[in-house]
Amino acid sequence: MRRMVVEDGNAPSVSQLRRGVLGYCVLALLQGGPRYGFDIVRSLSEAGMVTSEGTIYPLLARLRREGAVASEWQESPSGPPRRYYRLTAAGVASLRTFADEWASFSRGVDRLLEEGARP
Amino acid sequence: MTDVADRIVRTYLRDIERATRDLPRSRRRELLAEMEAHIAEARAELPTGSEAEIRTMLERLGDPREIAAAERGRRDPDADRAVLEGMALALLLVGGVVVPVLGWLVGVVLLWISSRWTVGDKLLGTLVLPGGLLPLVALGVLAVNVSQPAGLLIVSVLAAAPIASVTYLGVRLRRARERHADLRADVGIA
Repeated sequence: MRRMVVEDGNAPSVSQLRRGVLGYCVLALLQGGPRYGFDIVRSLSEAGMVTSEGTIYPLLARLRREGAVASEWQESPSGPPRRYYRLTAAGVASLRTFADEWASFSRGVDRLLEEGARP
Repeated sequence: MTDVADRIVRTYLRDIERATRDLPRSRRRELLAEMEAHIAEARAELPTGSEAEIRTMLERLGDPREIAAAERGRRDPDADRAVLEGMALALLLVGGVVVPVLGWLVGVVLLWISSRWTVGDKLLGTLVLPGGLLPLVALGVLAVNVSQPAGLLIVSVLAAAPIASVTYLGVRLRRARERHADLRADVGIA
């Protein structure tokens, strides 16, 4: 029988969900324009989407490899150079597709949760 | 910025270096640069830069080995295994035809080293039929007369048995993978 530990969003299914959509969350964050690594990590962290912040960097590398984002290092006045990420056309398209799928998926789950709760 | 804090950060970065030793050099350098930049930015924002704050920050950054594993894409370690398992099935069926006997033998080896099938499954896969579709093809090559009922029966068996056995192994494989995935989900992995 499945053991579901439900506390602080640590349910196994939730952490799996998180991992699955994390890449798209990154793409979503870039909709407003280029952002640098640390900034992206911080936003994700504040949204409660990461447990290990360092793993975002391999994720960013994967998104780069897949052509969803492009990056460039820029000098920063206040410290070390920053790596800025921006969405590519492919990334925009990918995000749009995901947004549609997510909308219908979450609607479906919500509906089922509601129905299940009814007496 | 105290010496202790610097030392802790240096140790952490060294751990990252060590954990990523097997990665391509360019990617490794890149990742280290990103980690260093992140730590520098995070430190600049710390209220006091105390040892406790540094440690907390590094904890949030995560275990170097976990980060290295994410880089390796090892969140799906089953991907490589899946390739071998697929190859096992293919070779069991037609390997013996493509590279007579040897191709099938390689399939048998791959079958037995996999942990996805039970010993019973493996025995079945090996004994039904030895050579996979090779005996059928060999029969064709040797132009054995198959017009009599007995001949037709033999041909049918030589064709159906390997296909059925490989199909059965495929079904067992999929169930095993699903069970495995469920297990990992229960424990919160993947």
